Amino acid sequence: MSKLGRHRAATEQQTDIDMVPVMNMFLVLIPFLLMSVSFFHIKAINTSVPVLAQGKDAGQEQIHEKLTAIVEIEPAGFHVSAISDSVGPEELAKWDTRMARENESGYPLDQLVAELNKMKVRYPTSDTLIIIPEESIIYDTIIQAMDVARRYKNDSLFPNVVLSGKVG
Amino acid sequence: MRLTRKARHSKHFIPPKLQITSMMDMFTIILIFLLFSFSNKPETMSLQKDLKLPESTADLDYKKNISLILSQTSLELGNKVIGSVKHGKIIGLDPQNLKTSKLYERLRSSRESADDLPGDESTKPHILFLCDKRLPFKTINSVVKAAAMAGYPNFQFGVLKK
Repeated sequence: MSKLGRHRAATEQQTDIDMVPVMNMFLVLIPFLLMSVSFFHIKAINTSVPVLAQGKDAGQEQIHEKLTAIVEIEPAGFHVSAISDSVGPEELAKWDTRMARENESGYPLDQLVAELNKMKVRYPTSDTLIIIPEESIIYDTIIQAMDVARRYKNDSLFPNVVLSGKVG
Repeated sequence: MRLTRKARHSKHFIPPKLQITSMMDMFTIILIFLLFSFSNKPETMSLQKDLKLPESTADLDYKKNISLILSQTSLELGNKVIGSVKHGKIIGLDPQNLKTSKLYERLRSSRESADDLPGDESTKPHILFLCDKRLPFKTINSVVKAAAMAGYPNFQFGVLKK
């Protein structure tokens, strides 16, 4: 070692940064954040209930044929039908379909989405679906039906979902 | 390692140092992860342990305005219990006479004060409805109807992301 090198070694001391206060801060911050972190991600589905509304102006023209799909959820399965101001009753009657439950646990969601997709292909401007569950139908089944009705693969089916009770 | 007396008193003895660099790295990663998971959600809310939300493919973030929580045991409005649920029936909420219920009264007064505020319908408060997935529609329908009659026909149903 040269003379200069020996001199440096003798005068300079190796210094370490004191990390202990930083560690202390981390030890306080991490439990605090862990306590308040949520491991469930809550998302939302927009829906509405039917309300009394003012009628549209008679002068308004219906440019596209549009229908509103109706899915009645019954203990035995789904009952799909449609209503429309611009489509005739014979055409609407064609969409009247019943889908029986496959087994005790599951509803025929695949059949429902296929039927709704056919409806959407035939009337592409349709965007409203009314779900009418029977009183005994559990909330989970309603959400499953809403899920399949809103989207098919990457295409939007019926994004406006209205939840209604059965009248009569 | 146990140090012998000879080693401790040795001229060349160097006291052992705790190597905390790797621990610091780990803590930094955890801290950044937690801070990020904190920042990307609108608000936190406390839910009852017995509340089981349905799972859904929905990817819309909720706007927390007025939270209405219906579990198998109670009905809460804005974290205040306003009714109890027994055998799927809400005590104090008569389906034939919803306008006399506490839920209707509270939502109506909240709606009236919201109507006085400036702004259009989209800026007015909405209801975030969190409901137990095992409840029948009969129970849910009374709550939904009462809320709609009080002036809240549009809802957001809170679900868990699949």
